[in-house]
Amino acid sequence: MAPARTSARAIDGAGRRHRGLPGTAPTFDPEDMDAGNKQLGTRLPILPEPSGGEPGGRALSRRSLLRAVAIAPALALAAALPALAQEPPLVAAASDLQFALPDIAESFRAETGQVVRLTFGSSGNFARQIRQGAPFQLYMSADEAYVLDLARDGFTRGEGVLYAVGRIVLIVPHGSPLEPDGSLDDVAAALDEGRVSRFAIANPEHAPYGRRAAEALSHKGLWAAIEPHLVFGENVSQAAQFATSGSAEGGIVAYSLALSPRVSALGAFALIPQDWHAPLNQRMVLLKNAGPAAARFYDYLQTPAARAIFREYGFVLPGEGG
Amino acid sequence: MSPPEGLHVRLSQEAPIPLEAELSCAAGEILALVGPSGGGKSTVLRSVAGSYRPAVGRVEVEGETWFDSEAGISLPAHRRRVGMVFQSYALFPHMTALGNVMAAMGHMPAPERDERGRALLELVHLAGLEERRPAELSGGQQQRVAVARALARQPRVLLLDEPFSAVDKATRQRLTREIADLRRVLSMPVVLVTHDLDEARMLADRMTVLHRGRTLQTGTPEEVTTRPVSAEVARLVELRNLFEGRVAGHDPAAGRTMLAWAGLTIEAAPRPELAIGESVSWVLPDGYVVLHRRDRPSRGEHENPVKGTVEAALAIGQTAHIALRPLSDPSLPIHFSVPLHVAQRNGLAPGVEAAVSLLAEGIHLMPPAGRRDERG
Amino acid sequence: MDWTALWLSLRLAGVTILFLLPLGIWAGRLLAYRDFPGKGLAEALVALPLVLPPTVFGYYLLVAFGAASPLGQLWQSVFGTPLVFTFEGLVAASILFNIPFAVQPMQRGFEAIPAEVREAAACCGMSPWQALAKVELPLAWPGILTGMVLSFAHTLGEFGIVLMVGGSIPGETRTVAIAIYDRVQAFDDAAAAEMSSLLLAISLAAIALTFAFSRRIGRRLG
Repeated sequence: MAPARTSARAIDGAGRRHRGLPGTAPTFDPEDMDAGNKQLGTRLPILPEPSGGEPGGRALSRRSLLRAVAIAPALALAAALPALAQEPPLVAAASDLQFALPDIAESFRAETGQVVRLTFGSSGNFARQIRQGAPFQLYMSADEAYVLDLARDGFTRGEGVLYAVGRIVLIVPHGSPLEPDGSLDDVAAALDEGRVSRFAIANPEHAPYGRRAAEALSHKGLWAAIEPHLVFGENVSQAAQFATSGSAEGGIVAYSLALSPRVSALGAFALIPQDWHAPLNQRMVLLKNAGPAAARFYDYLQTPAARAIFREYGFVLPGEGG
Repeated sequence: MSPPEGLHVRLSQEAPIPLEAELSCAAGEILALVGPSGGGKSTVLRSVAGSYRPAVGRVEVEGETWFDSEAGISLPAHRRRVGMVFQSYALFPHMTALGNVMAAMGHMPAPERDERGRALLELVHLAGLEERRPAELSGGQQQRVAVARALARQPRVLLLDEPFSAVDKATRQRLTREIADLRRVLSMPVVLVTHDLDEARMLADRMTVLHRGRTLQTGTPEEVTTRPVSAEVARLVELRNLFEGRVAGHDPAAGRTMLAWAGLTIEAAPRPELAIGESVSWVLPDGYVVLHRRDRPSRGEHENPVKGTVEAALAIGQTAHIALRPLSDPSLPIHFSVPLHVAQRNGLAPGVEAAVSLLAEGIHLMPPAGRRDERG
Repeated sequence: MDWTALWLSLRLAGVTILFLLPLGIWAGRLLAYRDFPGKGLAEALVALPLVLPPTVFGYYLLVAFGAASPLGQLWQSVFGTPLVFTFEGLVAASILFNIPFAVQPMQRGFEAIPAEVREAAACCGMSPWQALAKVELPLAWPGILTGMVLSFAHTLGEFGIVLMVGGSIPGETRTVAIAIYDRVQAFDDAAAAEMSSLLLAISLAAIALTFAFSRRIGRRLG
């Protein structure tokens, strides 16, 4: 059983920790200690990963040798570890999936026993890293343009598939002078009256949700007025964090984030009309070096079970109305 | 011809430290290397020890060649059997006194080191202090540890770099006596660097004067301090009565050479080879100036009498140091000292007239200032 | 508490100081003992990571061994992975940006040994290696240890360079510092707080230790 998940899920509380099988994440729980060790054991160069192609196999054993040399001193400190198998596949996911995807991954693991490692960030940033050789196996973008560019440049297996359509919302923290008004009329008024000092969106340069937020604000004619007050998050998750932290009067973030229990507890939100911005066609694709585990997860994401979770987080599914 | 035993050093370079030095020291002999600070003495010592490598030269010790620039030989310091006592002692602060001494015994079998180390510490009167760290020892005790450590190496040559400069006078005198005592045990050449001439006189068999890296004169301390080869050396050995004169004539019958100086004619020890009219410098150690005593006149007053006015009379302890300006040329003070009671009885005070005799045997002639006497 | 990230951070710091120990002793000793043309430049280069913004350093590291660079491609052809986004890449970056933290205290440690003491060691018949072992290291060890402690603590805390060169790959390059950043973005303040206070405690301990050692450098040779 290969463990190793991001700790995103591990700390939430006793209930979550024990959901599913032991070894979900490195924890202090004695039951999990063995799994924790197994986690460490994946660093041992025992079996090459089952990846396609001979170059990969040869390279991996050399890579394993290198790892052994680099880690040998540190191993002297580690307890004797049972030799273990493969590393779970790495998924690069747009930040709007911060809460939705772990739920899906959890359910995937419950069903198949397979664990995946999730990393969240802005879609544009991931696209850049992938071009530089980052070891992701599955890329879930919030903007299909990135996926199609990568496909065209030969980094992917095909063009992937549309997995969801996202929405943006206006979010205001508790105690903010702004109203959760999706038509942004109140924001306009607030700008006039000087009630707005800071407003958070994701960075339009490389975060799709940021770009859509900018489009919506422009559509409403507020861009010029609000631009000096804007605070940019590296990704939409950080934007949500800024928006709800109390140091900003509010922001425009992903619907999927606002719906999550953690964020919704911090403020109120309202949907912004979809036609105020280009659609958030969220596309995912397997990358060139993807293994069978990643492929299985890719398939799982398109099953009804996964789609149900997407729906839970406010995503519109391809083929269904918004 | 250089005899095989002993230390022979010849060094030459222009930069960064100018050197033009030559010295020798026989086994069991103490050679004092004197000169003003910055004169290159420490550099010479370090060249012998091997921590400095001059451009050109030779260092030979007991028949071994340690450094020969022409032959391309330069033994690193740790392969030379040299014992060095540094000005600051340079003890290893993290080792005990015994540890410091034993650190130099790498060439001896391990079981013997402890015993021999203790014996050495006893030799320098430090028995009982073996376990102390340098920080727990006084300056004089540290110096002794440094000496013991230098000896522990069983060195072929012992080098002492101003070993007494860092201690107070009383300790210095005691240590000087102890080094003098140690001489009986020392069978290797010893080079002692100092700027203190009294120390040199007390301890050394021979003395070399070094200035700006050049050896100016080598000889017994007595020779060098009373018969310097040049005015420069005279100044370096602290001879104050240094004057210019002109050879006036020779008197072979009386065994005298006459000098014209300060409007007077002075009789000096004979130097028949000097031409009449030739310019010379001459020097007279303080001890050869004799006061004409009003309370006790003597025949000696006929030898080179000089009348003058006392310019300064400084009492230091029980000695009065007098500067006398000759009447015939008040620009030239003559320095001498007398016991304080004599000065008082003769009423010597600034402004008072007095007369002295300059003893001919002490007058030493040298080439005029700026030239070195090759005959010297 | 992300134990994977913590273990990763500890491993990164540990491997870094393993490399920096000999490198620092060599460089610190060289700078302490010798004067040579260009020494000022050498010392400035050693100090550079102290003043350079981490992102500038990270940028140049990417240029130097990113996937597009000759070094990166050489690495890729030998080992099959890029140098960036890997633990090995982090180790390389970490060794480089910790140079001043390792070298400068070690240099001070060696400088504190009077030149005459070193000459005395040679006059006692100790070869350079013997002098190093018996005299120099025992006297310079507070400086050496300070260098190690500072490098270790600094590596644990480094963020910008690690993020740029390593990304945030769990189990591979997601150190504790990155994990904290990640937890904040995930609205997981509890985890972020936990890991932050751990890093704070480690940093405080490191600073206290280095001050204690600095005092010893002075006392030892006093």
